Amino acid sequence: MRLLLVEDELDIQDFLRRSLEEAGYQVEAASDGKTAQRLAIDGAFDILIVDLGLPDQDGISLILRLRQLGVRAPVLILSARRSVDDRVRGLEQGGDDYLTKPFALAELLARLRNLLKRNNPPGNEATRLRVLDLELDLLRREASRSGQMLQLTPQEFVLLEYFCRNAGRVVTRSMILDQVWGMRIQPETNVVDVHIYRLRGKVDSIGQQPLIRTLRGVGYVLKDR
Amino acid sequence: MSSKIASPKLRSAAWRISFWASLAFAFGTMLVFIFLQEFVEQDIQRRSDAWLSGEVEVLGNVAERTPKDRLYGRVVGEVAELAGREVPNKLPSENDANDSVFFLQRGSNDSLQLWVGAGSGTDTLAAILRIKLIPDQPTDVRVKGFAVPFRVACIRVDDGSRIYLGLSERDELRVLRNLRIRFLLWWLLIVFFGFAIVFLTTRRMLSHVRRITEAASQIGHSDLNTRVPTTKRNDEVAQLALTLNRMLDRIESSMHQLHTITDSLAHDLRSPLTAIRGKLEMSLSASSHGEQAEPIVCALEELDRLTEFLNQSLDVAEAKADALRLTRTQIELDELLRVMTDLYEPSMADKGLQIRLYNADRVTIQADAALIHRMIANLFDNELKHLPAACTVSIRLQAEEESVSIVFEDNGPGFSTEVMPLLFESRVKGKESNGHGLGLAFIDAVARAHGGTAAASNRPKGGAQVTVTLPRVSGVTSVSPIGMVHAAH
Repeated sequence: MRLLLVEDELDIQDFLRRSLEEAGYQVEAASDGKTAQRLAIDGAFDILIVDLGLPDQDGISLILRLRQLGVRAPVLILSARRSVDDRVRGLEQGGDDYLTKPFALAELLARLRNLLKRNNPPGNEATRLRVLDLELDLLRREASRSGQMLQLTPQEFVLLEYFCRNAGRVVTRSMILDQVWGMRIQPETNVVDVHIYRLRGKVDSIGQQPLIRTLRGVGYVLKDR
Repeated sequence: MSSKIASPKLRSAAWRISFWASLAFAFGTMLVFIFLQEFVEQDIQRRSDAWLSGEVEVLGNVAERTPKDRLYGRVVGEVAELAGREVPNKLPSENDANDSVFFLQRGSNDSLQLWVGAGSGTDTLAAILRIKLIPDQPTDVRVKGFAVPFRVACIRVDDGSRIYLGLSERDELRVLRNLRIRFLLWWLLIVFFGFAIVFLTTRRMLSHVRRITEAASQIGHSDLNTRVPTTKRNDEVAQLALTLNRMLDRIESSMHQLHTITDSLAHDLRSPLTAIRGKLEMSLSASSHGEQAEPIVCALEELDRLTEFLNQSLDVAEAKADALRLTRTQIELDELLRVMTDLYEPSMADKGLQIRLYNADRVTIQADAALIHRMIANLFDNELKHLPAACTVSIRLQAEEESVSIVFEDNGPGFSTEVMPLLFESRVKGKESNGHGLGLAFIDAVARAHGGTAAASNRPKGGAQVTVTLPRVSGVTSVSPIGMVHAAH
């Protein structure tokens, strides 16, 4: 996967490049709009990360310009602004995504994966998900572990489905809130954790290998090995 | 802001102004006319009196000189008739008989000696005898059978008889009546036109004031792009519009400056925060085992708290200045509350709290989704953080015609009296609170930015109540394009 990273803060560019390369992306970086435009046209990138506050131009203008020039790759917009303005919203509806700074790396990676998946949809969606001995029937909304049916509420099923779809990867609390509950909020209390504890109580019953692991300070991961 | 001007035409001050102006005008002209009429009446009276006096004297002379033979009656009668044809102010009468003038000679024994005029003259004589007439001083005499009194002059003749010459006031009154009728017609016309002109001009002027008021009232929270309409004329109203617009320019520029400051502050703080967070995460993954992970985890958590605090502080600051930027979309409030209740229910249950959402019908509002989500999360967080175990939280959604209220009630200890008056101020929190004291200030800020209100109180039965009221439709229909305009900046 070839990725173009457009970010003028060298500190951020540096750690993003390293983490992205660790995650398996081939990263090229640009610090200003001009370089970014040249690189984007020459190299065939699968995905772009564009910071909104560039020294020579507005990130949105850059994206619109690249679209005009025929660059079709999806864009993940990084914004240090507090309010998401309508142009970002417009791009979001056009298939791009945004993330406000500061962000968790796990969330950045998850959003990149989503963008790539959205733009290369699989032929037909699976109706069953399987992670180790955990099995989800998406049509009947039923989950079982080692053949044993789990008694889940609809909400818990959606949560577990999200974990299964991201098995082996870190998911953060704000990702869970966004994807499962559909809101970008940052509660001051441990609301998400309590949901996870409850789900874990049902999925990882005594005597079984625990599947849902907590990564403190980062989020959660559903083990797939 | 949305104090609607119900049927503006009826409430307009133009009616009042034109009513009083016309009333004053009508009263004044009426007064002038009354004086004029009085003057005209006196003048006509004076003229007819002069004529009467002159004629009666002539007739007296004729009567004296004419020998008292059988022709006496004819001679005097003809002279009297001739005189009667020269009556001043005479109007053509319906019948030929001259009933507007009479000539009467009364003998010394009060008998009717000579009569020229309509009718027999006995009624006239009787009327004259009833009144004592002084010579050379014309007097009004009412005669039976005549609706209008006669003006009668009298003269004494040497032979002891008296000569009376009467002139009906009918014509004089008719002249005056015509005058009055004409005046009244013209007066009504002029008053009506005056009213119309005053009304139209004041309404025109006031409609401009109203347009300014309407435009100014639409320039509400965060919408500062519109200006009140101006005209080319240079009168007071135009000056008012210009002054308002200059004031709005100044407000907009300081608002713009505030946005620039908060944005660059946010940007300048967030970039290093992003870098720090990234580095912390990388070192965490490098040392995922062992004891050095613990401080990194704590640092990450602190950093996230700091970020949220930064966001809320800036939002509260902007909202306090009525400068919070909104991107309105349709929000289903009842559904949102259900989802939020589902989200918070397990945490509440863990703390031994009960949560009760009273079923509400479908309620939608036009609002900024991100802000409303965070505001409601704040309401839940508030209850979760401050309530002791075994309490119940009741959530109600009250939909009224123009507004929607979200009510959070609990049966806990309520707000302590010392923080009560300062609840919606930033950094105000109870002694045991471990939050940063922005929760209620943020709730208030979001409500205000949407043109609503937030209220907090202690219930009489004990426990706290927080009510957020939001208008159903944004009071101003032109709000939605603001985001676009901001984006264009």
